[in-house]
Amino acid sequence: MTAAETPPRSSPDDVPEPVVRPQVATRDFVEKLRKIVGAENCLAREGELFAYECDGLTLEPRRPLAVVLPQTTQEVSRIVHACRGADVHFVPRGAGTGLSGGAHATAGSVLIECSRMNRVLEVDEANRVAVVQPGVVNAELSTAIKHLGLFYAPDPSSQQACTIGGNVAENSGGPHTLKYGTTTNHVLALEMVLPDGRVARFGNRTGEGPGPDFVGAIVGSEGTLGIVTEITVNLTPIPEAIETLLAIFDDVVPACRAVGRIIRSGVVPAAMEIVDKRTIEAVEASVYAAGLPTSAGAVLIIELDGAPVCMEGEIAAIREACDAEGCQTIQVARDEEERLKFWRARKGAFGAMGRLAPDLYVHDAVVPRIHLPEILAKVGEICDRHRLKLANVFHAGDGNLHPNICFDRRDPDELERVVQAGEEILEACTAVGGVITGEHGVGVEKRDYMHLVFGEDDLEPMYRLREAFNPDGVCNPGKVIPTTRFCVESNPKARGYDEVPI
Amino acid sequence: MAGAIDGLGLATRDEVVRVPGATVDRVVTPESVDALGALVRAAGEDGAGLLLMGGRSRLDFANPAAALAIGVSTAGLSGIDEFEPDEGVIHAGAGTPIQMIRDTVAAEGWELPLDSAGPRSTVGGTIASAVTGPRAHAFGAVKDAILGLEIVGGDGAPSKCGGRVVKNVTGYDLAKLYCGSFGTFGVVTGAWLRLRPAPAARETLHARCASGGELFEAVRKRAERPGLRALVWKETVELDEDVRVLVELGGSPEGVAADRSAFAEVLALETASDDAIDLEREARAGDSDPVVMRARVLGTNAATLARVALDAGLAVSIDPGLGVLHAHGAPFSVEVLHALRTEATRLGGFATFPRLPDAWRSGFDVFGDPDGADVLVATLAARFDPQGLLNPGRFVSARRGGPNP
Repeated sequence: MTAAETPPRSSPDDVPEPVVRPQVATRDFVEKLRKIVGAENCLAREGELFAYECDGLTLEPRRPLAVVLPQTTQEVSRIVHACRGADVHFVPRGAGTGLSGGAHATAGSVLIECSRMNRVLEVDEANRVAVVQPGVVNAELSTAIKHLGLFYAPDPSSQQACTIGGNVAENSGGPHTLKYGTTTNHVLALEMVLPDGRVARFGNRTGEGPGPDFVGAIVGSEGTLGIVTEITVNLTPIPEAIETLLAIFDDVVPACRAVGRIIRSGVVPAAMEIVDKRTIEAVEASVYAAGLPTSAGAVLIIELDGAPVCMEGEIAAIREACDAEGCQTIQVARDEEERLKFWRARKGAFGAMGRLAPDLYVHDAVVPRIHLPEILAKVGEICDRHRLKLANVFHAGDGNLHPNICFDRRDPDELERVVQAGEEILEACTAVGGVITGEHGVGVEKRDYMHLVFGEDDLEPMYRLREAFNPDGVCNPGKVIPTTRFCVESNPKARGYDEVPI
Repeated sequence: MAGAIDGLGLATRDEVVRVPGATVDRVVTPESVDALGALVRAAGEDGAGLLLMGGRSRLDFANPAAALAIGVSTAGLSGIDEFEPDEGVIHAGAGTPIQMIRDTVAAEGWELPLDSAGPRSTVGGTIASAVTGPRAHAFGAVKDAILGLEIVGGDGAPSKCGGRVVKNVTGYDLAKLYCGSFGTFGVVTGAWLRLRPAPAARETLHARCASGGELFEAVRKRAERPGLRALVWKETVELDEDVRVLVELGGSPEGVAADRSAFAEVLALETASDDAIDLEREARAGDSDPVVMRARVLGTNAATLARVALDAGLAVSIDPGLGVLHAHGAPFSVEVLHALRTEATRLGGFATFPRLPDAWRSGFDVFGDPDGADVLVATLAARFDPQGLLNPGRFVSARRGGPNP
């Protein structure tokens, strides 16, 4: 083969003619799905589908053709075969808590919701490994193994509802990723139904294998490479000691600097979270009140865990770092009740911010940690300019910010300003070497902003990976990558991600 | 000889490099990513296989190469271009010696969580081979240290993935595919790496003890200690009653003391030299025995696999907490290796053979079977390096019979 014969690189010219897919489920097709999963696990009536119009990203709802809730790997495989036979796309879904629209139905597609595949299949205590189905709720796994002195480390804020299958798709993080890493650091092996319906297994229980690291490539691929049907995860010993500290600063800038000092001191906290003034005010006015002084400019929550003998020295190092940045006060939680109260300031933030406006847009971006103070100032300036209410809670240790923009979607002008401000925030973050998402995923929300981070040459290997698994683009089309060679749903010119009305 | 490569006018030097299955007699050292890209494109025109080389410490860890035209050294893509001590991240070219990064970051209180052996090991080679050392307890896998990569693909096009930040889900995590695939999906030209704070206190200990399953299990269970950096159990069949255990601890002085006490419950510990773990790591890589195995099984099964290796006359060096087992020696026949691999697979893991007599290589993949995904291996290889220019034949994909129809 010569260079001239290598496969063509993608270009807009490669996009094929639009294929109009079935716009309503035909009786025959729905009957096929019902036969596979049982009538009670197949939703196709108008009223039943309403709840499945979107996931945690409510900006652009789309109604699926049908929703199926399989209970076994074989059912998933048969659903995929049935969809292929009817020329229907399919979209995997966990609990639908994702914030980037990764589980949004695209035009005329079937949602394959894995929430009823919710069994913990095996726990190997001695090797600290669990095998679970994808619909197991994140927090429920930790509850199920608590008596063994173990827990499942990734803890996204939605952990009471989100599923481990969804976590695998999104490579979910959480406050404790600073020390424990994200989902990718905890997944050892996967079983997956490929987009052609075959069942494949990747990896083994050691977390390492002799071939390419397919598991690593699948985690975080947002359900575009196939439908994960079984997950082998590693489990972590519950730390012997946990200490939670709450430091109050005049402003977010010294709070960010204190985070830098703590990291350089050699202490690796399990979590370091900053809550800004506006969030504090909202939390304190809500049922989540944590007793914070509303005069505070920023609150830094630090969690330490490890051996009991290490706690005193680490607390001293943290006090020193915070004092050096002029913190007002620093408290160590005296008991579990106080510890949970400190965390309410952080975890109750989303609920509390519901008080500020009818809708909340939870943004997600990452910058090199040293740029946090300037980026926070910039984000504030952008939202002020667009007359938007902003509140910030963020994983300060990771440089992962979550500007929360309050709005009312019934006001089209305000909605437009939210989108505009969101775009400017991403531009500001990428200008200092940051990225457009740290844990919520690209989905449909940020697909058209991928070019802020990656050029065409960088995207090309991503197309190649997707096409190796999903060559005709039938599985979760139109997500993650901005343009594709096969999916008309992803028109880069359109803000929406499909143009075929249902 | 080849036209397009010669047409580039790159400086090449005459040097014979032998790898399993092939030999090259010229080596080129591209001085830039663009020059490397041009070289790969020219190789595409010539249909010429490229032998990719970093520190050359793992060239034997390979299936027999397909035809090779020229060796490519990454030494011209060397150097630390960015180091932000307040951030704990560093960017270096592929040819940068790992030791240079270790020294640079240590001066600022950081530690590079890569534990590859030898003074010549490079960033690119370490990532391409994904080789870990005994400190994987603390450091994790090689992939865990990677934040972002720059790559030259099989089409000669430069690309990047990931980034410089410590948390990132922007697009597919392609670094996972490039790491550990021996350059066959793309040549690593540079990397953003995450650092970890150097521990305030560090202690290396050793003990001699008798071989025995109960003691092994007691030691293995202590691998959960929070300050454990490395734990090695060495045993040979000749010295059945003389096991050597190495322990490296790190953290706060109080934490290290508590961890030491936990090990002292079951071992008569003595202080070892600070570089005892480094020496063990180098020994594993530098061993001159004809066969070297690296296997990994579930931790609770490590002793079972070790017994099979010891019975075959091999010496073993085990990381009990990881289930990793290095074995070396001169077994009678390739059948022994088949048996070891079968046992490792049965015990939940795999066995690879970083060194093997050439006569045993045909029909025996040194990497083994890449789980049930063999069709995808070929499909990926066909998409990332359609002409088979990058280390052709070396990695598992060679055994998969070409592209998926």
